[in-house]
Amino acid sequence: MKILLSYLGNLKEYIIFSALIVISLILIFQNDNVQIRFVRVIAVNVIGTIQDGFSFIPNIFELERENKSLRETNIDLSKEVSMLKEAKLENLRLNYMVEFKQRTNYNTVTGKIIGKTLIQTRNNITINVGENDSVKIGMPVITDKGLVGKVVATSGNYSIAQILFNKDLKVSAKVQRSRVDGIIAWDGEGKITMRNVSKSADVKVGDVIITSEYSNSFPAGIPIGYVTTDNTLDNLFKNIEVECFVNFETVEEVFVLKYLSDDERKELEKKFSEKSK
Amino acid sequence: MNEYLKYGGILLALILLQKTVVSFIDVTEFRITPDLVLIGLVYVGIKRGKITGSIAGFVSGLILDIFSFSFIGLMALAKTAAGFASGFFNNDQKTERYLNSYIFVIIVSVASVINNIVYFAFYFQGTNLTFVDILIRYVLPTTVYTALFSVIPVIFARRRRFAR
Repeated sequence: MKILLSYLGNLKEYIIFSALIVISLILIFQNDNVQIRFVRVIAVNVIGTIQDGFSFIPNIFELERENKSLRETNIDLSKEVSMLKEAKLENLRLNYMVEFKQRTNYNTVTGKIIGKTLIQTRNNITINVGENDSVKIGMPVITDKGLVGKVVATSGNYSIAQILFNKDLKVSAKVQRSRVDGIIAWDGEGKITMRNVSKSADVKVGDVIITSEYSNSFPAGIPIGYVTTDNTLDNLFKNIEVECFVNFETVEEVFVLKYLSDDERKELEKKFSEKSK
Repeated sequence: MNEYLKYGGILLALILLQKTVVSFIDVTEFRITPDLVLIGLVYVGIKRGKITGSIAGFVSGLILDIFSFSFIGLMALAKTAAGFASGFFNNDQKTERYLNSYIFVIIVSVASVINNIVYFAFYFQGTNLTFVDILIRYVLPTTVYTALFSVIPVIFARRRRFAR
C-alpha cells in the first residue's frame, strides 16, 4: 500500500493534469446549461461595461480595414456614376437625333462613328453604316448641329467620310443673313475658312454660314458654322474664319442624308462649260 | 500563500487586459491578438512547476471561457495543457535563467503552440477549415504575436538585473 501511495505520489502531477483535462472536457460537453448561461449574462455585463470605458481608444487596424473597404466601395460607386452619366449623355444625344430626324425633310441613315482622324491634313471618319443601309458615295454626313462632311468610300457595313477638316473637301456656302456666297475649305491648319468673298461683301463676326443651293453635293440650308474672324486678305478678298457648329472632337453619332447630286444638272453644266471653251 | 496570491493577481490582471484592451490591437483579417494570459501562465509554470501551472491554466482558462461567451471548458483545456507544458521548465537551478533571458520567449512560443493547437483544433471542428488552414491562419500568427509580447517582460527583467 505504501509503495502504491509512493508510486501515485510520483505521478500526482500527471494525475492532477489528467483530472483537469477531464473536467475541461466534461465542461465542454456540458455547454449551454442554465448555470453557465447565468454566469455568461454577468460576464457580458462586466465585459460590456469595461469595453465601453475603453471604447475611446481608436483601433488602428480596424480603421485601416474600414478605410480599405470604403475605398473599394468608392471605386465601385464611381464606376456606377460614370456609367450612369454616360447613359444619360447618350440618352440626350439620341433624343436630339430623334427630334432632328423628325424635323428634316430628307431620308436619313443613323450611324455611329467608329473611327476618326483629326490630326492629319486629310481627316476622315469611319461610320458603321454602309451599302447594306443604302449609303452611297457622295452622300452628305450631318448631325443635328450641322454639316460634318461627305461619304467618299463605302463597303457593305461601313463608310468613310471626308470631314470639313479635310483639304480635299470644298463646300459651296453662303452667309445666311446677307446671302453672300463663298467656298468653305480648310487649308490644313487652324479653322476652316470661307474663300472667294469679295472685300466689299457684307459679312460680320457671328454671321451663320450655311450650305448654298449652288452646291451640287449638299442640299441647301445645312448649317456649317459661324464667322469668328473677318478681315481683309488682300486687295480683292476677305479672310473669313469660320467656327464649325459640329465639335469634331466629341461627335459620336451622325446621319447620312440620302441625297445625291442631280445628274441632269451635272450633265447640263458640263455640256455648257465644254461649249464655252 | 502570498506568492500564490501574487500569481493569482497577475493572472487576473492579464485576463482583464486580454478581454478589454487587447482586442484593440488585433491584426490580420482573422483578428489575431496576443495571448497575454499565456505569458503570465508560462511565468507561473516555470516558477512553480507542473501542478501549479496546470491549475493556474485551468482556472485562468475557465475565467476566459466565461468571458469569451464561447465553449465553456475549451480555453480551460488549452491553458491547462500549456500550463502543464511550461511546468517542465521548472528547475531550481535554471528557473531564473529561463525567466531573465530570451529562452523565456522560446518557452512561451512552445506553450503557445500547444495552447493554440488544442484551442483552435477544437474550436473549428465541423467547419471546412483543414488542420493546415488552422495552423497557418490562427495557430502560427497567434504564437508569433504572443512571442513578440513576451519579449517585454524579459527586457524589464534584464534591466532590473543590471540595475542591481
